[in-house]
Amino acid sequence: MLDVTTHGATPVALRPADEAMTLERLGSLHASRLSFVRSLVRQMARQRWQVSCARFDLDAAGHGVAIYRLQTPQGRYHGVIFSQHLEPEQRSDRVIAQAWDVTFGLVEGDVDEGLLEQMAANVPLQEAGRQHPRLLVLSRANRSLRNFAHFVDALSSGRQPDPGQITRVGYLYRTTAVYGNGKFGIADFVRLQNNADFHRPFSAQMMAVYLLRHFSIQQVEHIACHQAPGDAVPLASELRRYLGIGNSTGLGMAPFLINHPQLVQQWVTCRESALMTALRQAPDENRRQRLLVLTRRAMRHFKQTVTEDTEQGVRNAQTVAALPQVIAWLEEMPLEDDLWQQLTAWSARTLPFETQELIHTLLIELYPERVDYLEDQMGVIERLEMTPDMPLVRLKQLIETRYDWALNEDFKTPEARYWFWYRSVEKEEPRLGVRDQEPGAEKELHLAIAPRVQHTHGVLSEFLEANPRALVVEFLIAHPRHKDIVRRIQTMVDTAYGEIRANLWHRDMKPMHLLRTKLSFFGASRFDPKSDRWVRITLFQGAPLVEELNAESHDLQDFDDWSFPLEPESPGETAMAR
Amino acid sequence: MKASYNELQGLCLKAFIGMGFEEGDAADAADMVAWMQCFGLGGLAALSRGLDFLLEDDPDDLPSVLYQDGDLAVIDGHGQSVLRSSTLSLELGFAKARARGLAVIKVRHCHNRQLIMGYLARLAGRGMNVTAFWRNAQQPLTEQVVGFRANSAVPEIRVYAVQEIPEENEPNNAITIVMANHVDLLPAMRSDYRYDLLAHHDESTLLASRHQSLTEGIEVDETVWARLKHLASRMLVEATDASREGAGASYQDND
Repeated sequence: MLDVTTHGATPVALRPADEAMTLERLGSLHASRLSFVRSLVRQMARQRWQVSCARFDLDAAGHGVAIYRLQTPQGRYHGVIFSQHLEPEQRSDRVIAQAWDVTFGLVEGDVDEGLLEQMAANVPLQEAGRQHPRLLVLSRANRSLRNFAHFVDALSSGRQPDPGQITRVGYLYRTTAVYGNGKFGIADFVRLQNNADFHRPFSAQMMAVYLLRHFSIQQVEHIACHQAPGDAVPLASELRRYLGIGNSTGLGMAPFLINHPQLVQQWVTCRESALMTALRQAPDENRRQRLLVLTRRAMRHFKQTVTEDTEQGVRNAQTVAALPQVIAWLEEMPLEDDLWQQLTAWSARTLPFETQELIHTLLIELYPERVDYLEDQMGVIERLEMTPDMPLVRLKQLIETRYDWALNEDFKTPEARYWFWYRSVEKEEPRLGVRDQEPGAEKELHLAIAPRVQHTHGVLSEFLEANPRALVVEFLIAHPRHKDIVRRIQTMVDTAYGEIRANLWHRDMKPMHLLRTKLSFFGASRFDPKSDRWVRITLFQGAPLVEELNAESHDLQDFDDWSFPLEPESPGETAMAR
Repeated sequence: MKASYNELQGLCLKAFIGMGFEEGDAADAADMVAWMQCFGLGGLAALSRGLDFLLEDDPDDLPSVLYQDGDLAVIDGHGQSVLRSSTLSLELGFAKARARGLAVIKVRHCHNRQLIMGYLARLAGRGMNVTAFWRNAQQPLTEQVVGFRANSAVPEIRVYAVQEIPEENEPNNAITIVMANHVDLLPAMRSDYRYDLLAHHDESTLLASRHQSLTEGIEVDETVWARLKHLASRMLVEATDASREGAGASYQDND
């Protein structure tokens, strides 16, 4: 328990890590108002960022170059997009792909002909190119062929596309990697730490994706227009809004979460702090009604969500089945000061994890004025440091109290040491292998923290018996191989939420939970697993459009209210009337 | 060619792991090389000069403590690169300085000594005043002094030629580090002996170099880069059909 206060009858505290940091719990998280896409859109609206098209040189097939200018009060940036023909046999979501339908980058400052030439020669090559240090983000995306063909066909025939098609697949393009932080020569993230626009984690990457969304709309309209100059219609506003950008993600996200425990600590702390703040509030009738509205919207959203994955399908169905109970509970319960606490206590007893976490997300949504400051606390300067003068006996005690979850696992059983993580020669793609069956275990990535902690605990306990007054540094001079994990433990014991409490070797470990953890902080929706280690999601579905952003005035609260988007009911009337 | 800081650090990390470094040593060594390169001090060139020796170092020949008391420790680096042998010696000095206010650490028999600066920066960042100096045996005899003020990641560096060579000038491949909790230890040249200042890097020129590295990228030698990439590839696992199947999406996603 980290921070306890009393409101009403029940003490409210941050959730303990053994509840919040289990893999299954993290794998049930939903995007919240603190997710990166949401906070970026709010920032854009608050500061009146403007997006304009600086170049749109596309041929009839939509191939060519488009450049979008982003003007903020602090700076100017450009999204540069290269679109090309791609043979079907080259279209792959895998990181090992060599070519893509579009490749793009977000550039700090202006783009002159020299830079454009350099980018044209390198951005389409992605990892194989040498990228310019003014690029903040490098990315690529492939078309959803079915959606693309359907949209072009409909618009060029003067019709609006079927909204159900977007409900099935919520985008025209899906990205397969969005690189930041110095990858392949682009700008280091440290350069952005004093940048007023993009100092938050992943905000530059999300901006690049947002610009791609705008391009996808303009491009499909452009192609339709060329196919039927007299008949083509623009895409209806409701459908534009309903279009997001897809993302296809594999195991590559897993090493990030393990290798950045301080960042994970920050993200989860912000989310948990927001939840605690919401739970401390005494509800009024307006807020109860608002929660009911949000719950009904989320229920319809999940009812509409399509996935072929059996397990995710069951989880969605469970949420849809549970939410009427939540609505009934909310309608029936007296408006007591600790109603939100009663709600979470009841849901923890009776509802599945995904529904519990959905309720948490919706509760956070109720108090923007109290939680939105946390969006500026998502970043942290990362550095794992040693405390060499700590008595070794103290370290042993800390491991036993804070890493008990790692000590409790029996790593001698074959199930507990089933998987090993490694990088393949194929573009260094992270993969999982079965220990003692597949080659490569000797090159294992040390992502499983629990067995390392347990091993170190054993060795240092033995050392302590012979050297009861030893310092940590004396132990490490005798056993230097433990330096890395000792440094991690010493840094992370002061935090609650940095370590994901799971055995990443275990046969029953689900990598999908790791992927979903990170994606939920990005703001992903429509989780659509394609296997237990590969998922497609949608970003920015329902988000305000560039033209709405550029409009002179807008209601910030309304502008921000786009979570759990729903299929438009009668789109196209506005566009058809034009 | 130009590389980013993160890219350089990441490649060094993988290369050191490929060379057989333990994870913690590899991370520290990568930080040390990248730190030096970022400040325009030739970290990659220093690494390149020592790389063949580094590959021959016996990873099990660990540094040993020859002598220590509350204020002082003498370590035998067994002829290894500071990339492999120095960090725990420095942590030992850090622990002593925290306990006693000041500590002196001497690491004997080590090479690649320039590269130690990156880890000294880290100790300074943790609130320690740090000065290190070492002599190079070439003619003229040169001495390098590096000083960090507590909580500053940017050092003051001086390299000078020693004109009056002591008679007992036996080969000296040691490095001496002084750490003080509360007292500034920046190098100040106030000796009565003759010396010629060969190089001086002050905080402002180093900060300017760092700024340039971060805005324009870091110039790296392509041959060294290729060698590091080759070493990094040692940690990669050959692909099989089974491994490809289990890794992610299908090979064609024309949906």
